[in-house]
Amino acid sequence: MQARSRVPHLHRMNPLLAFLAASLAGAALAAPADEPLDPNVAFRPSATLVYARSTVGGGSERHGIDIEYRIAPGYYLYRNRLRFQVSPATLPVGDPELPPGLEVDDPFVGKSPIFRESVTIHLPFAASVVQPGRYVIKIVAQGCAEDRLCYSPFPQEAALTIPAGYRTSGAPPKALPPPGSPPR
Amino acid sequence: MKGWLPFAGIGLLAALAGIALWLAGRQATPPAPPPGPVEASAAAIQSARFADADGNARMLGQFAGKVLVVNFWATWCTPCREEMPGFVKLQSQWQGRGVQFVGIAQDDPAKVAAFGRELGINYPLWHGEAEVMDLSRRLGNRLGVLPHTVLLDPEGRVIDTRIGKFDEATLDSRLSAITGK
Repeated sequence: MQARSRVPHLHRMNPLLAFLAASLAGAALAAPADEPLDPNVAFRPSATLVYARSTVGGGSERHGIDIEYRIAPGYYLYRNRLRFQVSPATLPVGDPELPPGLEVDDPFVGKSPIFRESVTIHLPFAASVVQPGRYVIKIVAQGCAEDRLCYSPFPQEAALTIPAGYRTSGAPPKALPPPGSPPR
Repeated sequence: MKGWLPFAGIGLLAALAGIALWLAGRQATPPAPPPGPVEASAAAIQSARFADADGNARMLGQFAGKVLVVNFWATWCTPCREEMPGFVKLQSQWQGRGVQFVGIAQDDPAKVAAFGRELGINYPLWHGEAEVMDLSRRLGNRLGVLPHTVLLDPEGRVIDTRIGKFDEATLDSRLSAITGK
């Protein structure tokens, strides 16, 4: 009488599939280290129009643009080397509001905050100066691939549209997307 | 029936070989990515102008007749700084054999000079503005990354170009092969 396998799923596994799976696993592990990514792939910015009303302090409003960076694993951005400019300049924005970032101690340049994985930077503007239209946020960024190489300052862009009817004061129009929604 | 055993055995061997290669790869310097095409002529390379620590104009052509190791770097680039002590050693070893190192940075001149003093860099450190990365890109650095090192023959032609860190032993071997010394 033939004994049944104590490992039912292995007993049922197609032998060819088992061979392919094991070979692919080996090949994947043996693959050479990734080539450095294009900076626009390693560091991907997107822009979102944001509006928020505070529930304290008399319900003050907050208008601005959120720049969200998605950063590839193994890569980081230098916090203090990011530069932003909105084009056309008919939308004057305030100083960028950046999270503190992760502080790394560099033996030559001292403590240097960096961003990994993702970060959101806020560019505030006054609602009273808003004109509807398409805007491009021109960014200059610097970053590195951990322990391998760094990217010299590189230009990037993120676009967004401020819809017609964006009010100059008070609550946003109904047509406006809720805070955090992608621009239309 | 044990018909699947040979397949599983081969698969297991393949997986083990892969793991061994992966472990070996983890301990070595990551392979350098392939550079892009070189788009600068020897004349353009030799006549590109930069500034030395004192602000004097410098050109690579002043080292014509030597094998040049041109290293594009920046003070804020940690991998760049990590490889430079190896360049200092190699410059000492090769200076009497027709090899000259030059570092070129698109960076704050004061920081470049401070770094050179702090690490006892024994080869010229030049600086410039956008023309630094312009030349680097025309020498195959299509992504604009640092460090980027280019080996030039005595006539200013590109022999080799390396994106990312240049391991000291590898560069030593390359210089031996190039100079025959």
